[in-house]
Amino acid sequence: MFFHIVLERKMQLHPSFFGRSLRKNLVSKLIKDVEGTCSGRHGFVVAITGIESVGKGLVPDGTASAFVTFPVKYQCVVFRPFKGEILEAVVTLVNKMGFFAEAGPVQIFVSKHLIPDDMEFQAGDMPNYTTSDGSVKIQKECEVRLKIIGTRVDATEIFCVGTIKDDFLGVINDPAAVA
Amino acid sequence: MSHHHSESDDDDYSYDDDPELEDEEEEEEEEEPRSSRKKRGRSNPDPVGLRGKKRKPSGFIEHGEADLGAEDVGRHRHFHEPASFRSSRVGAEEYLDFMQEKYSNPRAEYEDDGDYEDGEPTHVDQQALLPSVRDPKLWMVKCAIGREREVAVCLMQKAVDRGSDFKIRSVIALDHLQNFIYIEADMEAHVKEAIKGMRNIFANHKILLVPIKEMADVLSVKSKTVELARDTWVRMKLGIYKGDLAQVVDVDDVRRRVTVKLIPRIDLQLLADKQEGREIVKKKAFVPPPRFMNVDEARELHIRVERRRDRMTGDYFENIGNMLFKDGFLYKKVSTKSISTLNVTPTFDELERFKKANENGEIDFVDMSTLFANRKKGHFMKGDEVIVIKGDLKNMKGWVEKVDEENVLIRSDMKGLNNPLAVNERELCKYFEPGNHVKVVSGTHKGSTGMVVKVEQHVLIVLTDTTKQHIRVFADHVVKSAEVTNGVTKMGEYELHDLVLLSNLSFGVIIKLDSEAIQVLKGVPERPEVAIVKHGEIKYKIDKRMNVKDRYKNFITVKDVVRVTEGPSKGKQGPVMHIYKGVLFLHDRHNVEHAGYVCVKCSSCVLSGGSYSGADRIVDSFSRLGNSKPPVPPSPRRFQRADSGYNTGAGGRHWSGRGGRGQDLLVGAYVKVRMGPFKGYRGRVVEVKEKTVRLEHEAKIVTGKLDLRYTHTWFAASTPSFSNMGSQTPIHPSRTPLHPCMTPMRDSGATPIHSGMRTPMRDRAWNPYTPMSPPRDSWEDGNPGSWGTNLLYPPESPYSRAYEAATPGSEWASSTLGRSYSDAGTPRDANNVPSPYQPMTPSSASYLPSTPGGQPMTPGTDLDVKSPDIGGDAETWLMPGILVNVHKAGEDSNAGVIRDVFPDGSCVVALGDRGEGETVIAIQREVRLVCPRKNERVKIVGGKHRGSLAKLIGLDGSDGIVRLDDTLDVKILNLDLLAKLPHA
Repeated sequence: MFFHIVLERKMQLHPSFFGRSLRKNLVSKLIKDVEGTCSGRHGFVVAITGIESVGKGLVPDGTASAFVTFPVKYQCVVFRPFKGEILEAVVTLVNKMGFFAEAGPVQIFVSKHLIPDDMEFQAGDMPNYTTSDGSVKIQKECEVRLKIIGTRVDATEIFCVGTIKDDFLGVINDPAAVA
Repeated sequence: MSHHHSESDDDDYSYDDDPELEDEEEEEEEEEPRSSRKKRGRSNPDPVGLRGKKRKPSGFIEHGEADLGAEDVGRHRHFHEPASFRSSRVGAEEYLDFMQEKYSNPRAEYEDDGDYEDGEPTHVDQQALLPSVRDPKLWMVKCAIGREREVAVCLMQKAVDRGSDFKIRSVIALDHLQNFIYIEADMEAHVKEAIKGMRNIFANHKILLVPIKEMADVLSVKSKTVELARDTWVRMKLGIYKGDLAQVVDVDDVRRRVTVKLIPRIDLQLLADKQEGREIVKKKAFVPPPRFMNVDEARELHIRVERRRDRMTGDYFENIGNMLFKDGFLYKKVSTKSISTLNVTPTFDELERFKKANENGEIDFVDMSTLFANRKKGHFMKGDEVIVIKGDLKNMKGWVEKVDEENVLIRSDMKGLNNPLAVNERELCKYFEPGNHVKVVSGTHKGSTGMVVKVEQHVLIVLTDTTKQHIRVFADHVVKSAEVTNGVTKMGEYELHDLVLLSNLSFGVIIKLDSEAIQVLKGVPERPEVAIVKHGEIKYKIDKRMNVKDRYKNFITVKDVVRVTEGPSKGKQGPVMHIYKGVLFLHDRHNVEHAGYVCVKCSSCVLSGGSYSGADRIVDSFSRLGNSKPPVPPSPRRFQRADSGYNTGAGGRHWSGRGGRGQDLLVGAYVKVRMGPFKGYRGRVVEVKEKTVRLEHEAKIVTGKLDLRYTHTWFAASTPSFSNMGSQTPIHPSRTPLHPCMTPMRDSGATPIHSGMRTPMRDRAWNPYTPMSPPRDSWEDGNPGSWGTNLLYPPESPYSRAYEAATPGSEWASSTLGRSYSDAGTPRDANNVPSPYQPMTPSSASYLPSTPGGQPMTPGTDLDVKSPDIGGDAETWLMPGILVNVHKAGEDSNAGVIRDVFPDGSCVVALGDRGEGETVIAIQREVRLVCPRKNERVKIVGGKHRGSLAKLIGLDGSDGIVRLDDTLDVKILNLDLLAKLPHA
């Protein structure tokens, strides 16, 4: 699920970046530092949409570090998967254990136990899961709609286990089939 | 008296009729003290101590007595049984009554149920029964080894013979205690009297009093006997089935035998041979693997199989010899002593096997519940989600509210069930839902964590966190947990993902550790090979840092990201975790097998992205890119670049012609031995083996060849050519740990290189060439004539080949405008030219353009570009308008002009010397500055004058002298900061 939230970060900036463009530098550094990261608490930071405030820079005690710390409050769009959430994802890897799919930055694993029983694994060049009648095929690059049944949230990664063994779940688009 | 003891004895005892014998003798022992005890018993209203203990088995006496009558053990009796006893046997009933009376005590109800296990007194009650000072004491008497029983029996006989004047109360012989018997008596004198004149008793030996505290221990059983029930899982203790899982089918309490169901380990062929009386070759220590018996198979081997009905159960069994089979299982009658019942936790696989033969195909709950017998205390915790698996409430889910001994109070969310229900622990099983994150707390997968993907009754399929594999575990072995581990990650000194050397000298990466074994992905690039080894089979952990070269001779160090371009693992990509013997272990996070590890040959990989050691530079500043150029260590691109830079000329061909083995690069290089006995010698490399280099000795005109052990000898670049090559060859000092520039911190490395190698280069014949090195483009139209002298080199001379390849020869000439040649022909050179047959002379080396000589050109430029550190103001940035070489992986390098630079460092480059070609987007590390020549227009890309245009008016070592356009100031700047401008 996407959220638009305000987060705060203490940015360290080298004095060489000070000057007229200090704020610009801060922002560009913030974007560079934050976008695409994942925190277990908030999920993936997808985009920074605005800066709320830039606090006063703090010169640290002592001379050990030349960096100055600025507390920056920023608005951003975060993406955090939840248990029970329905997502659309692109299959990235198919193997006999199931398949991995990615929904943006989130990796989701769908175990073979969570693939409908009538879908069988077919090894080969393009490993896939196919129904007995061959009408549905899950292979790399497929788009699937899946439901997250569990998430494991680490400090820097969110890993999900999903299922397609439910109504209205499964392949929604297969570019390979169209081609 | 000591029935209890005898009972416990039985459990340790392995043959069968002895217990009865023992029972008997003990009973007879009983005989004597009976009368006295009877009186005493009354006088002592609270019978304590041993009597209390002994009381319990009174039910057993019944059996014993019955047995005695029925069994043939009775014959033992005839040897020593006195008439008085026989008479007592006559009225067994009477006897029983008598015994009961004798041992009656306030808690007689226990005696009624023969099964004392169930009516086990509570702890406090037990305490009351412990012996006190008023009770008879136990004396330890020494006797001959192995005669303990005999002595006990003798004493018993004596007691029978002597009647009431025999004062001892009981004799105990323990099977596990040799050399001693215990005698129960009130006084030591009674003991002495009793043993007087006895054979096998060392009467003169001191009689030891057993302290009251220890008395109970004498008679206590070490481990509590677990009652054997049907369907219990047990393990065999003896024979070929030792350790095998078995299921109890039938229990014969009386004969202490059980029938167990096993997966047979039978060698049918052997059996057939035996039946036909053929010679049997005894194979030692061969245990056939467990396999279900296939009767048809047996028949094919002409083994007689009879089908009989069991009298007792009415089931049909296949009989082979005297083995009974049913459904493929072997039904075996064994003594209770030959099976172990404690802590039997069948593994999943074992159960699966048992299940397999079951026609109904399912482990039913009865079986499952037997697994629960070994649950630890505190198995259920408040809040655990549980499901009822037995009884009326079966399949009801709930949460543990409270745990009381055996009963668990559960709360269900079912409507109408507001109050918590008390359910027996055994009727409960933990319940998990798919998606739960769990940790396995027992069993083979103990310690691993993962997410439940499927629940099959009591079996969970868990996707492990780290290995991304499915494991099947019992719900009971699992707890909910947020923790992420891969089970054991450390075993002794070895950790998960360590590179280790195995005892058979193969090596591999530990991909899994579990309680029993270590799984190692072996270093076999051809196919993934997993070895399962024991801890002891690992010799040591390999902790070497090594560099290898990839397919394109880029240096790979640990943590570099590489892509596999061929072989079975083609397409895999990931950071290098270990390097050993030219084999890389990558960690591809998309690889689900082998914990993500892939083993590949270094030559089938391509470095993708930058070298890790250089990564920080790339991130930090573009300028540092220059550093990745020679002669500084592991620069991936450098080589490609040199290669492609020369691809029209010698360099590329030279190398490729050599078949791509990295060390071949060194062949032809002009080197100086830095260490070892040949220190100071110079020569040309004629052959490179794995660890040795063969040098052609310079001092001897007749090629003297020296074998040099690489391990003892380091080569230093005495010529520019080598310094260049060296940067690419592992033998080069800059690579060796000895050399400072080896360290990833290139900054420190750069300087030594310069001082050490570059300067001499410049000072020597090299200098003149420097200015001309960059303009490769113009080389083609070089003046061949200027090289005429060079062509005098005989074709068979080592250089000739290089030469031909080395079109640069011509290039040189052109670029140096001929002048350079004469320049190059410093006095020394001049000598050489006429004497072309002395290839070894330094001068010739200096020309050798294409072989070593040719390559130096690249470095020539590169050298100039690199080492920003020297200048100190190392902030160079790519800027629009400068001429660069673009080298994309797998393509040739192209000159181009930067049109635009993006903030992330990538830039738009218009190909072609003047930027007339197509535009491409190149990332920063694919772009290399082109080093300007003297009198060329440059742009300063770093430092104070960044952005200024200037003219290079001179060169001084790695510095260039420039005149700024705007101020006409003359500045000395590091060449790294100077970028050539395209021709106007």
